[in-house]
Amino acid sequence: MSGETDRPLVVEGLTKAFGSVVANDDVSFAVDGGEVFGFLGPNGAGKSTTIRLLLGLLKPTSGTARVLGADIRDEAALTEAKRRIGYLPAHLGFDGEVTGEAVLDYHGAMKGDGRREELLGLFTPPIERPVREYSTGNKRMLGLVQAFMHDPDLVIMDEPTGGLDPLKQEAFNEFVRDERDRGTTVFFSSHVLSEVRRVCDRVGILRAGSLVELEDVETLLHRSGKHVRVHASDAAVAAIADLDGVIEPKRFAEGVQFIYAGDVNALLGELATHDVSDVEIGEPPIEDVFAHYYGSEESVDGGDDSGAASDGRDESDGVGTPDESDGPGATNA
Amino acid sequence: MLETARYEGRRRLRGAAILTAGVGAYAGFIIWYFTVLEGVDYEDVFEDLPPAMLDAFGIESLSTIEGFLGAQVFNFVWLLGLGLYFAYVAGGTVAGDIETERMDLLLSFPVTRSRLLVEKFAGLLVPMIAVNALGGPIIYLFVVAVGETIPLDHLLLAHLLSIPFLLVCAGVGLVFSVAVDRSAIAERAAVGTVFVLYLVESVVGGADAYDWLQYLSPTQYYEPTPILIDGSFEPIDSAVLLVAFVGLLILSQVLFERRDV
Repeated sequence: MSGETDRPLVVEGLTKAFGSVVANDDVSFAVDGGEVFGFLGPNGAGKSTTIRLLLGLLKPTSGTARVLGADIRDEAALTEAKRRIGYLPAHLGFDGEVTGEAVLDYHGAMKGDGRREELLGLFTPPIERPVREYSTGNKRMLGLVQAFMHDPDLVIMDEPTGGLDPLKQEAFNEFVRDERDRGTTVFFSSHVLSEVRRVCDRVGILRAGSLVELEDVETLLHRSGKHVRVHASDAAVAAIADLDGVIEPKRFAEGVQFIYAGDVNALLGELATHDVSDVEIGEPPIEDVFAHYYGSEESVDGGDDSGAASDGRDESDGVGTPDESDGPGATNA
Repeated sequence: MLETARYEGRRRLRGAAILTAGVGAYAGFIIWYFTVLEGVDYEDVFEDLPPAMLDAFGIESLSTIEGFLGAQVFNFVWLLGLGLYFAYVAGGTVAGDIETERMDLLLSFPVTRSRLLVEKFAGLLVPMIAVNALGGPIIYLFVVAVGETIPLDHLLLAHLLSIPFLLVCAGVGLVFSVAVDRSAIAERAAVGTVFVLYLVESVVGGADAYDWLQYLSPTQYYEPTPILIDGSFEPIDSAVLLVAFVGLLILSQVLFERRDV
């Protein structure tokens, strides 16, 4: 691990208040060189606010951060550092009237585009068409190309995979791992647990504007448990719900769903002894992880609301990974 | 260097072409209409109008092509129409990008906010220069085509001296553009401000009470009709406009520098 001054991203007591609403409350963490750092939290937790502070788009109320050594309150230093920073915002406000190619030409003229062709081979937006005709996924791919094409040392991304189809998401994950191996530092936010676990080395968790945990991905996954949904007879459901490691079982007409924090093999063994018509095991939605491991459901909701009201830019477009979209759907069933 | 100005300027090319074509067509109609009115004692029509109104519309000498152009084209199109147009368009420059979150991308570039602002504003020079550099020759050709003459130097001056005036109108729009988050509000506020200043100047210009108010309006410092008729103008007026424009630009930079986007 390198010293504090060499670390590409050091956040120190960063606080941002919009009027009376505190979107970021004394957030501190650091990202090491050549690491993929996931910034995880439910929608409205204040992730976009942190990211926009790091880029100098917002001014901190107190505290500060250093990005590639530049204090974010020092415009000249931060501007110089931006030559080596790639940024992918959550919402891509490209100029709709021009083609993707014109957008890349402009971005390239501003910061360089040495890797443009290579990236266009990997992510494939239709660059000859005007951006207003782009789907969300195509816009995201254009955004990824512009974020990486000047071969930055640090890449900051806000919900980078929203709108990408599963194949492109996998390509993205692999690409991020390769970039890390080349020495690029990657910092990205997500509200999708399965996304960060595939690529991140470490994870910071933000809730209601405060950093609540900073841990490695294995620990997080170990603690988060599985989301399980079983269709079975009433007798079987009663037995299954009594298993060790079953948290907050919720009955529905044909079965039960719960978070399972124990050994998956033990669960499968138990399930095999009953007459089970259907079973789904997947990762829990991140809201459930928070509810069960970091506090009550009420406080998560409270954080959600105040955060969303304060920032207004933190909403995702509601497109998650396939296993993530299973989760909330099942919860509401 | 100047990549943003070039990009923004290119985005304005089509709008500039449409604007120039529209203004040219209107000028063509007015010049043709002047020939239709020949023989009509047109000035009698306006004889009964109050002096304030004649002054407001820049009506001096409607029986000559210079006077007619000054009143019907320059006072209506350049002073009012283009003044409002550039206030409106400038109002959308920054607020529009903030609203669509395009500004997030622009500010991720290695460029300072003040420089980005100046270069974005520079894109507005494309329609501003096009409508004058092409509109002037178009007007001249129409005048010649209907068998009239107009002093070339007067026409040139009327166009040249409109630039500082239009810069101030755009500067008003730019201040609103960096001060608010939504382009519709910035555009309306900019248009409203320039229009109210025009009205105030028209109203108090003919009276003694509170006549200092007229000096607040940029329209006070650009009077195309006398320029067209006898080439007379006050250099200090253009200087006042340029100083005001620089002041508005600096104010915009300060506001943009301080704000969250």
